[in-house]
Amino acid sequence: MPVAHMASIVPISKSVGANRIIPTVAIPHPLGNPALPREEEVAVRRQLVEKALMALSADVSDQTVF
Amino acid sequence: MKLELHKISVRRICFGEATHVENGLLTVNREELKALIMEDRGLAGVELDLAHPGEDTRIMPVKDALEPRAKLSGPGEVFPGFIGPLDTTVGEGQTLVLEGAAVLTAGRLVAAQEGIVDMSGPGADYTPFSRTANLVLVLTPREGVRLHEAEQCCRLAGLKAAHYLAAECRAAAARADRVAVYDFQPLSETLARHPNLPKVAYVYMLQSQGLLHDTWVYGVDAKRILPTLMSPTEIMDGAIVSGNCVSACDKNNTFSHQNNPIIEALFKRHGTELNFVGVVVTNENVTLADKQRSSSLAIRLVRLLGAEAAIISEEGFGNPDADLILNCVKAEKAGVKTVLVTDEYAGTNGASQSLADSCPEGDAVVTAGNANATIILPAMAKVIGDPGQAEVVAGGFFGSRRPDGSLEVELQAIMGATCELGLSRIGAYTI
Repeated sequence: MPVAHMASIVPISKSVGANRIIPTVAIPHPLGNPALPREEEVAVRRQLVEKALMALSADVSDQTVF
Repeated sequence: MKLELHKISVRRICFGEATHVENGLLTVNREELKALIMEDRGLAGVELDLAHPGEDTRIMPVKDALEPRAKLSGPGEVFPGFIGPLDTTVGEGQTLVLEGAAVLTAGRLVAAQEGIVDMSGPGADYTPFSRTANLVLVLTPREGVRLHEAEQCCRLAGLKAAHYLAAECRAAAARADRVAVYDFQPLSETLARHPNLPKVAYVYMLQSQGLLHDTWVYGVDAKRILPTLMSPTEIMDGAIVSGNCVSACDKNNTFSHQNNPIIEALFKRHGTELNFVGVVVTNENVTLADKQRSSSLAIRLVRLLGAEAAIISEEGFGNPDADLILNCVKAEKAGVKTVLVTDEYAGTNGASQSLADSCPEGDAVVTAGNANATIILPAMAKVIGDPGQAEVVAGGFFGSRRPDGSLEVELQAIMGATCELGLSRIGAYTI
């Protein structure tokens, strides 16, 4: 089953063996950025989720950072 | 930078009329100290209590521990940016130390993650503060004060008390039990004096994740610093202050910064086994870009010092493991040999992966122990603080408080149990 690992600290994702890695914003708020205005934050969130969906459907042969 | 620590031994603390020290007894004017602490309008109250080694006493939740220190001579004052002025550095001249005494800030404070200190029983072996004569400040922030302000109030109360106690004892400085001298020379001088000794730097990682996991350097939030070079004597004068409300076992409380055993060990061997060339202070931030930048710049400083080897100490656990590994890999790739000092979260049975990250270059590691190991702490006759916190401190869990008054907790809950600076008394070796 394909898995996309969304996390802010890529070296840890690699260390734990994730194959599809999507770098995110920061440890306290991986999928959002409270410093941004609401509309821009929604855009960031959408972009991250779309990237994760794309990663799920991508063929990978090794650990890959999207 | 030459610093003399004039140490007066303290074995007991009592309350009395004037704050002073005599024959190992520290007398504290309770009302005077209370009034000083209550100048902070963010506090609703403070109670002072005492705890001595061997007593049937538990203190919880403990936020910070501090050693009473005050300048006798030389520039500035201890805890620069909080107590001392910022128009000078510290770490030179003479500093008075009330050795054997500690100030503990306690009470139901700001967040869940604060620790336990037992003055006797099995838990006492795991904390250095079962061996100190403790003045405990049980602090109550005023209602409506926001979380970060409350943390600041409690942090300042500890700093004020630690400075006050030593400052009021200055008259006794001439009768100090011992004087320890630390002479940290400029790089050019130390290189000329010890041309044949291996050059060793110390990379001092500070918790700086925000959300009350914070450390302060000369009054600056460490998450806002770029890695910087310090004299180890500045740290003895309180240039690094803990504002951490994170797991008690491996946060570096202010006492452990003031008494950093790694710095002590490097000084001890300086000029005979090695050439101690500097302390690089760096942080542990919450974005990958920050971690990459800080590790790059910290190791750049190590290289500019010409160090051939570095000791790297971590603070905390989890994502700071990534900072530790980045520092290790970058140093080793630059030809700098490393020894890492960390602790482990290997599950209650010790069988899980110990760190969240790892690297083949990290082949010399000192561990301070497995913070997930559990311990039963028997009921105590006296509890200073709030025993109801057992189930919400990090390392505690639902059911931690047992019907007979005993506690079952992970070592994580005990103040300093797996200190990554080595300020502990329990060790092990492989046979």
